[in-house]
Amino acid sequence: MTATLRKRLPAAALFLSAVFAAGAATAAGKIAVITPYLAQPGTQFYVEAFQAAAKDKAWDVNVIDTKGDVAAVISRLEDAATQKVDAVVINVDPAQVEAGLAAVKDAGIPVVGMDAGASPYLVTNVTSNGYAMAADTAAYVANRIGGKGNVVMFVFDAFPPVQVRGVIADAVFGNNPDIKVLDRVTPDVSDGGIADSRAKMEALLAAHPDKGSISAVWAAWDQPALGALQAIEAAGRQNEGIVITGIDANPQAREAIAAGGNFEASMAQDFHGIGRAAAEAVAQTLAGKPPKSSVIYVPTKLITADNVKD
Amino acid sequence: MASALKTYGTLIGFILVVVFFWIEIPDTFMTAKNWLNISQQVSMLAVVAFTMTIVMVMGDFDLSVGSMASLAGIVAALAFHDGYGVEIGVALALIIGLAGGLLNGVLVAYVGILPFVATLGTLTIYSGLAFLVSGGKTIFGRDIPPAFSGFARSGIPLSDTVSLPSLTLVAALVLLAVWFVLEQTTFGRRLYAIGGNKEAARLAGIRVKRLRFFAFGLSGLGAATAGLMYASRVASANPTQGSGLMLDAIAAVFLGMTMSDEGEPHVLATLVGVLILGVLGNGLTQMSIDSYVREVLIGSIIVLAVAASSIGKARG
Repeated sequence: MTATLRKRLPAAALFLSAVFAAGAATAAGKIAVITPYLAQPGTQFYVEAFQAAAKDKAWDVNVIDTKGDVAAVISRLEDAATQKVDAVVINVDPAQVEAGLAAVKDAGIPVVGMDAGASPYLVTNVTSNGYAMAADTAAYVANRIGGKGNVVMFVFDAFPPVQVRGVIADAVFGNNPDIKVLDRVTPDVSDGGIADSRAKMEALLAAHPDKGSISAVWAAWDQPALGALQAIEAAGRQNEGIVITGIDANPQAREAIAAGGNFEASMAQDFHGIGRAAAEAVAQTLAGKPPKSSVIYVPTKLITADNVKD
Repeated sequence: MASALKTYGTLIGFILVVVFFWIEIPDTFMTAKNWLNISQQVSMLAVVAFTMTIVMVMGDFDLSVGSMASLAGIVAALAFHDGYGVEIGVALALIIGLAGGLLNGVLVAYVGILPFVATLGTLTIYSGLAFLVSGGKTIFGRDIPPAFSGFARSGIPLSDTVSLPSLTLVAALVLLAVWFVLEQTTFGRRLYAIGGNKEAARLAGIRVKRLRFFAFGLSGLGAATAGLMYASRVASANPTQGSGLMLDAIAAVFLGMTMSDEGEPHVLATLVGVLILGVLGNGLTQMSIDSYVREVLIGSIIVLAVAASSIGKARG
């Protein structure tokens, strides 16, 4: 025996034992949940809720996280097709993984989208209504400022689910002749979006120094709203009545709303509800009665200081 | 016997992994369809790893390949968006890849910056450019012509049920080209001479600077090719989509290097390294192993294989 081989044996043993330990469980329904985005809090919530629902149904769920790699999602879809799982759940833009979805379809395996996007390859897609969320917060802003004043919008048109929110807010503000959109800012999101939104908002505050020159900030998601809040507070202009709204109602946003400052409202998506509804859609499909609609909307809720503690 | 084990230890390890999956997943693993799937799944990584082998032969690294792959995909997609045909978009992306690679070559060979530092710098530049020209957007949908996205889904039918994927074919052609260049030409042999001893190679009359310059150009070209394959496979281009390729490519070359007595990279050994990574991903998914366990296993196997080989060699 050589040193090489001796060194190799423990490795092989480790490998085999880990594999056996993990591969031991088998159950009636084998479901593969595939996403590149498991590190995102929202995705974690729906996956957790999906797993909880799956436990009640005694499914064997394999959650596969490709850590941001979309091509790897295609590879794992192909593997799921080869493995002949009973159903696949994806959380990724279906248009980018069509090659893998085609392989799954050829294998006769149904795919349910969990906040994925519409696609003919999906039985259905369970998601929140982005149009409705943007309409709720934009209408909140318009009503709070009495249909009059300058509004700063934070948008992100590169990401389709966020882009639709901007379009709806444009329509709401456009329908109020006395509301002027001062700027439509696209923040740099590589650092999470708060820091750059704060910097952009600071510049806008400097350019519009008079009290009342900015009435509201409408943000397509929470991070820019939080950045704008920081900029307004740092500039000492928190008492001018500038109304800020976000979307998603993440914990930091809820804290800001509860504090009763400028950040007044956000929309809560029911991430757990999305996970549960996706599990329900899978159950119906496996029972031979797939949902009729290609999109299932899970209701969202406007979060303000009145209900943030609920 | 001992030296055979040293040399073929990684290959034997690979075969053991394959046999293990064959036993564990008897119905689907050892099928032509699954292996063609694996070949397609690793094709992008393979192309980057093959051309990375060229620079690693000289003892250099190219850390910029991942961001170059992203940039190439973005360049092609933007050309499509502006109404240019598939040929023009692909040609532009390859030109950018070659130019970016040659810039690395200038920095490393002529300016004399360490490859690690030079390509770390260009990694950031190419990534920044990809974000800049795309505006940070994912380019997808109608902007990507069906002829381009269809390529990754096409193949040469081998029977009624299986076909040889086009992406696999591209990777095979790149493998053949790199093998020919490295093993069958004076250019390739000189690269190995540089890797053995730069100073001795220079004194022997090898134009070290020029060869390093061209070698980095080839690495950039390979990265752009992989970026195009990736963009075709996902029918979209995103400024970060190639970033995972770099570390896996270097890992594959290292795994391959354990198979050489001299610790030199050889492109056929790199292929084994790529296949180890690809087979583990495929087999463990089919066995429903948690994806994080998979990460830990793959990393452990890389470290153990390289460690075992280097300990074996140090004693030998």
